[in-house]
Amino acid sequence: MFRALCRRLSAVRKYSTTTAEYPFSKSVTASQPVLPPTDALRKGKGLMQHLSKTLVDPEKRHMVDVLFSRRHPERLPPGSVLTAYTGQAPFQFSGVLIAIRRRGPSTSFTLRNIVQRMGVEMQFFVNSPDLKRVEVIQRAGGGGGRQGRRMRRAKLFYLRDSPEKMTAISAGVRG
Amino acid sequence: MLSFWTTVRQSSKASALRRCLHSSSAVNATAAATEAGPSTTPQSWTPQSVRTGVIARKRGMTAMWDQHGAKFPVTVLQLDNCQVTANVKTVRKDNSEYHAVQVGASDRPDRTTTKAMRGHFSKAEVHSKYIVKEFPITADAHVPVGTTLSAIHFVPGQYVDVIAKSIGKGFQGGMKRWGFRGLRASHGVSVSHRKLGATGGHQDPGRVWPGKKMAGRMGGDRTTAQNLEVVRVDTALDLVFVKGCVPGVDDAHVMVRDAKKRMREIVRANFSKGNDPDRILPKGVDALPFPAGTKEMAETLPPIITAPSKRVTSPFAPASN
Repeated sequence: MFRALCRRLSAVRKYSTTTAEYPFSKSVTASQPVLPPTDALRKGKGLMQHLSKTLVDPEKRHMVDVLFSRRHPERLPPGSVLTAYTGQAPFQFSGVLIAIRRRGPSTSFTLRNIVQRMGVEMQFFVNSPDLKRVEVIQRAGGGGGRQGRRMRRAKLFYLRDSPEKMTAISAGVRG
Repeated sequence: MLSFWTTVRQSSKASALRRCLHSSSAVNATAAATEAGPSTTPQSWTPQSVRTGVIARKRGMTAMWDQHGAKFPVTVLQLDNCQVTANVKTVRKDNSEYHAVQVGASDRPDRTTTKAMRGHFSKAEVHSKYIVKEFPITADAHVPVGTTLSAIHFVPGQYVDVIAKSIGKGFQGGMKRWGFRGLRASHGVSVSHRKLGATGGHQDPGRVWPGKKMAGRMGGDRTTAQNLEVVRVDTALDLVFVKGCVPGVDDAHVMVRDAKKRMREIVRANFSKGNDPDRILPKGVDALPFPAGTKEMAETLPPIITAPSKRVTSPFAPASN
């Protein structure tokens, strides 16, 4: 099966990515397909699933496949405290991970923080070129014991009405 | 193929190119006099030309990001063995001509195709198709019968019209079908919250005007989404990514053609005004594959071609005062 994959990869046409090869426009960018095309994909079978994998930037694959996946052992559970670094203002934003919206290339997560006594939530799209990297400050508990029990919800919107629970999470960060 | 248009771009206004879609004058001497079909000399795109369209299948929607970091929705259209099945030429009583390219898509088992259609497809030497549609063109834009059209037919940065049967909504009331506001929810209104209300005057006219907007079947009719920008073309899988939404359900057949407003009327107006040749076609588009983008052409060009956003400034950059 590995040999068949190598054969298919070598059959992908090799083209120069200079725009001079494309005579109808000068401002376009040319690129190669990430995975070789199959007959099933040309018929449309599994095409959207294929696109949801290939439209994700290779640098963001780790975020989509590991950090914000459903079942990966190293995924970030809701309740974790993260810092997101962006290219535009605010250049960094820290907060509690209260929601993960898993939609393949449109995967996003929401961080909540109290900034100058005001609750602020920001939604970051994983595949956006604006999001540079995500740093984990504190992972939420996985099981019982010293780490604490895991959050029993996927979406922690109840934190909007409980400032004391937000304080408890932030106390755990410093402690 | 591009040589004629490039010489025109270099020269000044060429009035000899004035040619109407349904003209009776025999300006185009290269078109065959007796039968429709592509001429032997290679034709080049002109601002008066109208190319064929293609039939694609709507596969779904996803999102992409442009070079500024702004997110935009895209619809994925896939060409499913789209081939030319006939070239149509009809001469009307007033000697004007109608030219069209007939295109078929999606291979169909021969045993489910009627004998009449099987004969039609065997004459064109193509596989039987599920859908066959016609695209009106100018006389110079005929494509040889049997040609397989490819996603390379569209240039990233150009605009297209996408035509399909919209999703059927069934029998719907006035509020959903026509956007009526209904009546109050409370304050004494009895048993009528989503009704039409009044339907006309009194004794004069004493009837309801024909065509009065009322409840009825909504959706399931031919709808055109106009002026959608093509952002990416993938010839490895024959995909065309258009920005925005497209009518129809997933896997429905859609007709895709150059936008009538932004690729025909505006281009013709720019040309007849004598604009700079670089500013006739939409920004970023230098030329169009003519008469059509074929599978053979796609093999000579890069597999995935993406157009940048036409915005010059970033939407996130603060406005300079």
